[in-house]
Amino acid sequence: MLLIFEDAQKEHLSFLTNLDADVLREFGRISLNFIKKGANTKIFQGAAQKLKVSVETIQHGVEGLMYLLIESSKHMLNDIDFQDSIMALGFTEDTRSTLLEIYLENRKEIRDVLDEMSLDLPHYHNLEWRLDVQLASRSLRHQVTPTILLKLQTEDGGKKVSHMLQTDPVNMVHMARVLEEALQEMKSSYCRRIARNIK
Amino acid sequence: MELGASVTENIIIAGDSAFIHDNSYGQLVSCACKGILFEEHRNVIENNPAFKDIDKDVLKAAYSGIVTLVIEAAKHDSTAENLSTFLEDCKYTVDRISTFNKIFLSQKSHIQLLLGKVGSSFPHIVDVEWRLDYYIKSNNLEKIDSAVYLINLKTEEPDEQTIKDIQFSCTLEQLQDLVGKLKDATKCMEKIAQV
Repeated sequence: MLLIFEDAQKEHLSFLTNLDADVLREFGRISLNFIKKGANTKIFQGAAQKLKVSVETIQHGVEGLMYLLIESSKHMLNDIDFQDSIMALGFTEDTRSTLLEIYLENRKEIRDVLDEMSLDLPHYHNLEWRLDVQLASRSLRHQVTPTILLKLQTEDGGKKVSHMLQTDPVNMVHMARVLEEALQEMKSSYCRRIARNIK
Repeated sequence: MELGASVTENIIIAGDSAFIHDNSYGQLVSCACKGILFEEHRNVIENNPAFKDIDKDVLKAAYSGIVTLVIEAAKHDSTAENLSTFLEDCKYTVDRISTFNKIFLSQKSHIQLLLGKVGSSFPHIVDVEWRLDYYIKSNNLEKIDSAVYLINLKTEEPDEQTIKDIQFSCTLEQLQDLVGKLKDATKCMEKIAQV
């Protein structure tokens, strides 16, 4: 799969073709910081003075590079598709390989950022358990009632939520068995076949 | 087992043949157990033909005495010996004591089961449902290709009629972690059960 650029994006990226590898790496570093932490336009001023170009040119260059890195990571482009995608933009072979390096080094991190932004369900974070035996209550003395206290932590949109739960031995064994079956299901030939075919 | 003066007085009334006749006494004890066990029988003595000759106030006092005795005895897991000693102090005849013991002891475990349910507790897990999805892509990210489990824990709470759900998702690794911990707890439980 190849990336398709709009004319404006091609123009923005064309600024990067004339840069030294070191400067390009610096642009890569700035783009990544923006992807992770959000844009900080203050940097543009300094860079523009240093390279003796307008602030807009710098801004467009960084934005173009961010677009390139995000789109390639989103589609999980391989080396060849990445190189071919930028082939037509007028980069020298050296610059292309520098860009490829930047891409491959940071792909995982960019995908993590994109993953965090995706639709998120409350998900499992941690489970703590404790085994208690209830000996008496206000309404009934002389008991021996085993209870398992469970503290289930789930995470939803970065916020952790704790659920205090309890269960009895029979349900505990049942729950462990049912979820163990669920785990095994992913290893079944049916699920493996589907997973293989989707890739 | 310690009961207040007014309760003891009511128990004495129930044991006195001048107030409750011998043939109604057994019925009264049975009705008390039934009234405790089944919500729809709470008012079982009202309009009951077995007690039509007994004064309403006396019947009410005797019934409340027996109900309190049954609940307290179940609560403290009293034995026939404990009860005999207690009822002898309340001037019960040997016959009445053995009638009480026979009826009460046969129902004791049921009543204790009911008493065990009274009280507060955390939501109690009674079942678990799962669903296995394969997460392919989203608007932000393509080629994700990972298994996602949706887990639904069914919980019950005291005094709540409905079953509540706790839903969350797990990746394969997270579910492995969860199952590992549940198995740990199960093993620990089984080890203790063998001691």
